[in-house]
Amino acid sequence: MSDSHSHEHAHAFDQQAAKESYGRITFYGIILAVLTLVEFILALNSNSLAGLMILALLKAVIVLNYFMHMYRLWRDDDHGHEGGHH
Amino acid sequence: MAVAVDHHGHDAHDDHGNHEIPYAQQLKANRMGLWLFCLSEVFLFAALIGARFYLWGNTRPELNQELALITTCILLVSSIYMARAEAAAEHGDKKTFLNSLVITFVMGLIFLLGVVLFEWGLVPLGGEHHLKPTDGAYGAVFFAMTGMHAIHVVTGLIFIFIVWNNGRRDRYTTEKHWAVEACAVYWHYVDVIWIFFYPILYLIGTPFHL
Repeated sequence: MSDSHSHEHAHAFDQQAAKESYGRITFYGIILAVLTLVEFILALNSNSLAGLMILALLKAVIVLNYFMHMYRLWRDDDHGHEGGHH
Repeated sequence: MAVAVDHHGHDAHDDHGNHEIPYAQQLKANRMGLWLFCLSEVFLFAALIGARFYLWGNTRPELNQELALITTCILLVSSIYMARAEAAAEHGDKKTFLNSLVITFVMGLIFLLGVVLFEWGLVPLGGEHHLKPTDGAYGAVFFAMTGMHAIHVVTGLIFIFIVWNNGRRDRYTTEKHWAVEACAVYWHYVDVIWIFFYPILYLIGTPFHL
């Protein structure tokens, strides 16, 4: 395979990987939006402190794990490329 | 900065005259530093939440529920676009990176204006009564919590602008873009704080008409 072909292939692979990442982000975004609506409806129908706090905790865990990548603190990886290859 | 020296008088880091800390090691230290900063800020916000429960108990002032839901959703969408921007930087997708940062900035600005202009009553909505900082414990807690959060939003917006401007000038690569990651972590952190502030300020407790 020529250099230009391999470059094109790598570029196409990146595009595919990027699309998958964006899809995953949208998926978790939708979950967060649904949980926010559930929170609002729950507050309108009952005054449950525990229920609302559990929902807030769940949303925070999703953001901490999938958006803030908290797990990277314990891994030897570079920017989003798990495995630590340079 | 002090550098450790071994018995032969050489730099302990390496023997090739290269004093640079390996990027992976620097990145790990940067991440730890940022997360420790976030943790230190948790104490500030936890103190404000503690004050809210101590002073308000199981009551809350009557606030504009629809406006709060809309601003919360806007901040959530801004967080989604920030995550897209970071993913785009990782994959070298410059166009999506810059566009997502612009959307994040605009959404963050709308959130800020929604809180400051409408929620704080600078621009009255439909002649309804707005909470004032002088309205006793309700006003004090509400303005302290939303004000402290708003300051963090302003900081985040400045951070986003700097990262966008540097991104425009190709200052980041797919391998090295710590500033993008830091900006994203900070912005999501601001979102996480609001995830707790929203139910605590607007949803929990019996509404109390001032």
